[in-house]
Amino acid sequence: MERTFEKVEEILKKHGYEKKNLIKILLDVQKKYRHIPKEVVNYLSVALDIPPAKIFGVATFYAQFSLKPKGEYTILICDGTACHMEGSMKLVSAIEEELGIKPGEVTQDLKFSLDKVGCLGACALAPAMVINGEVYGNLTPEKTKEILRNIKKGDDK
Amino acid sequence: MKIIVNGKETIIKDESRNLLEALRDVGIEIPNLCYLSETSIYGACRMCLVEIDGQIMTSCSIKPYEGMNVKTHTPEIYEMRRGILELILASHNRDCPTCDRNGNCKLQRYAEEFGIRKIRFDKLDKSNIIDYSSIIIRDNSKCILCGDCVRVCDEVQSIGAIDFAFRGFEAQVMPAFGENLSTTNCVLCGQCVAHCPTGALTFRNDLQKVYNAMKSGKYVIGMMAPAVRASIQEELGMENDIVTAGRIVNFLKTIGFKKVFDVAFAADLVAYEEAHEFKERLEKGERLPQFTSCCPGWVKFAEHNYPEFLKNLSTIKSPQQALGTIIKKFYSKEIGVNPEDIFVVSIMPCTAKKFEAERDELSGEVDAVITTKELSQLIRSSGFNLKNIPPLPFDRPYGLSSQAGLSFGKTGGVFGSVLKVLEKDLQITEIKTQELEKGIRFTVATTKDGKEIKGIVVFGLGNTKKIIDSIKKGNLNVDIVEVMACDYGCIGGGGQPYPNDTKARTKRAEILSEVVGIDVLISPNENYHMLSLYEKYLEKPLSHKSHEILHTRYKNRKRIKNGDIEILPLPISEKEKTTVKVCLGTSCYSKGSYKILSELVELVNKEDWAKNVEIMGTFCVENCGKSPNVVVNDKIISEATPEKIKEELMKNVKK
Repeated sequence: MERTFEKVEEILKKHGYEKKNLIKILLDVQKKYRHIPKEVVNYLSVALDIPPAKIFGVATFYAQFSLKPKGEYTILICDGTACHMEGSMKLVSAIEEELGIKPGEVTQDLKFSLDKVGCLGACALAPAMVINGEVYGNLTPEKTKEILRNIKKGDDK
Repeated sequence: MKIIVNGKETIIKDESRNLLEALRDVGIEIPNLCYLSETSIYGACRMCLVEIDGQIMTSCSIKPYEGMNVKTHTPEIYEMRRGILELILASHNRDCPTCDRNGNCKLQRYAEEFGIRKIRFDKLDKSNIIDYSSIIIRDNSKCILCGDCVRVCDEVQSIGAIDFAFRGFEAQVMPAFGENLSTTNCVLCGQCVAHCPTGALTFRNDLQKVYNAMKSGKYVIGMMAPAVRASIQEELGMENDIVTAGRIVNFLKTIGFKKVFDVAFAADLVAYEEAHEFKERLEKGERLPQFTSCCPGWVKFAEHNYPEFLKNLSTIKSPQQALGTIIKKFYSKEIGVNPEDIFVVSIMPCTAKKFEAERDELSGEVDAVITTKELSQLIRSSGFNLKNIPPLPFDRPYGLSSQAGLSFGKTGGVFGSVLKVLEKDLQITEIKTQELEKGIRFTVATTKDGKEIKGIVVFGLGNTKKIIDSIKKGNLNVDIVEVMACDYGCIGGGGQPYPNDTKARTKRAEILSEVVGIDVLISPNENYHMLSLYEKYLEKPLSHKSHEILHTRYKNRKRIKNGDIEILPLPISEKEKTTVKVCLGTSCYSKGSYKILSELVELVNKEDWAKNVEIMGTFCVENCGKSPNVVVNDKIISEATPEKIKEELMKNVKK
């Protein structure tokens, strides 16, 4: 990945190089890079005059931020009470079979990443998952694999 | 203000910061683990719960109001505090006998006071991170997440080397990315150690080195800083004893030290030399304001953060290093002992002094630095009762000191001494001092012909940052600045006894003032043993010889650890390509290194001759005084401009 810090400078500029905008800046970095790279944390520390330990603290506190790259498609598997009862762990196994990643991991081609989350608020559709903001409900392991295969196919075209 | 405390009408101070402090003033100490009067209020530990008008609240985070009805120690509150302690202890490494804080740990004390013997909850081992990388040791298995260290480092010292990371069960205090402390911009002032309520932050104990030296038959020479004699009493139950220094001299000689000298002697020497340096700079009008340089925490802070002011630091060594050098270089010859067989032990209130003694350019001058706390261990483990040991004078010739040298132990001492030395010379007729705010004092000394010498005395690195920022902006015009990293100066050092808070520090300042007051010499100019050093060896202040012996140098230091960053990587062999590294550290960044970087990227993308140029980023090449810096292959181009780099590249580029 090419890292000219050009994107970071754009983000900093957008937020007026202001300390108080740290979370907004990190959200934009997360969006652009799909994670918060170490050198970007250090670069922000220099540009905003905030100790790197503090930025690291913010980046590790909020679930929105990740220090490891996320996939182009971020899969969030709901493991809240309702989904758990309806077999969400079976979906996790199905994804592992299909993509070879466990929760918290990303595929080698950086295409997919998988995370387990508390509750997506879609209990009526349990078990559910969200891929890049789109909700998929009433899933079975087979349906889940199907969805992933369709995404792969769609991208290959 | 009138409030009701446990059913009794009580008058408290109107301006009390919170209920906890108000009650403290009337003699009720509410248990607490995360409250520091020196930092912002955090309210995390919940130990300071009290009942206010029927509701349970934390006393640290509430302001008293007229008629407030407070109950401080009801059975319910007792139960809650016990519960909190049990929960904290459930995930705390309870290896108390082998912990550095054994016997003076706040958590241990509360566990004893609340009679906690059994803990209802399962033992939960949290982190096992132990960081021995620097002289400050972090053991996260003992951390209770009170955040005292985090707030002191950030708010008081403006450093922020450590902070909270992760959340919930995983929450821990650490440097960014879980790196070791030694890779950060920590200045080793030890204020985190001073305020940690448990053994999570301690410092390296060097007593074994001293015993080893004695065992191997070295000629052991001790030297003691002024602040130690104003604080060790707290550990030994000798309140208000002002001849402690003499007792320690006697004790050290009893256990085998050959000589014991006074660092206050070297303070006289440093003040004398530094005053002449200041006078010279005043006359030439250069490198002003002059900053003092005897505080190693401040020196490291300046090296990390203020490269443009390093030339303003007095180049004279600290009293510790000056005396170490003199012992090894001159005294060894006088007593006919090979310097290699001499082992100099420096007794200091300070953790950063351990670091200073190990700096490359100073190493070998002092062989071991032990803190006040370690000296107390040395005394207690030997079985002596210091109270019963009669005082002895320090050994000559380096045992004599003036009031000026002795006052180095507290804030204002160095600046005061420099003025004292110059008093006659510059014909100073009037000295006026005002406190601008806590930790910042402004002094104007007027000379006979009406000239004014302006000085700032500051303690705390956060305050120091404020002062330097004002100087940089041109809002403050002074000739000399004395900086002490720790609150109230060396008496508040990180190696001092616990508790090491404002109350203890002001008490130490009083004791030291008494010690200073009974000294018969007033100015360093009267210290004839010090002056005879010049006659014998150093010739005169600022002479060539004295520069060689007493002066030192400083270096730029990184603030951030990061490997080189690939910006435009070239997957070809090293031989074929030219590598350009643009520094993105603080100094270079603020002087526009990003602009250089983007212009270089554009150049490489556009111009064919430059296609074999690889572009990297780096965080600090430690040449901050001449920023922005760009490295072409291995050559540093300082004060770089895109044109300069282009020119250099054209010379280097491999076609």
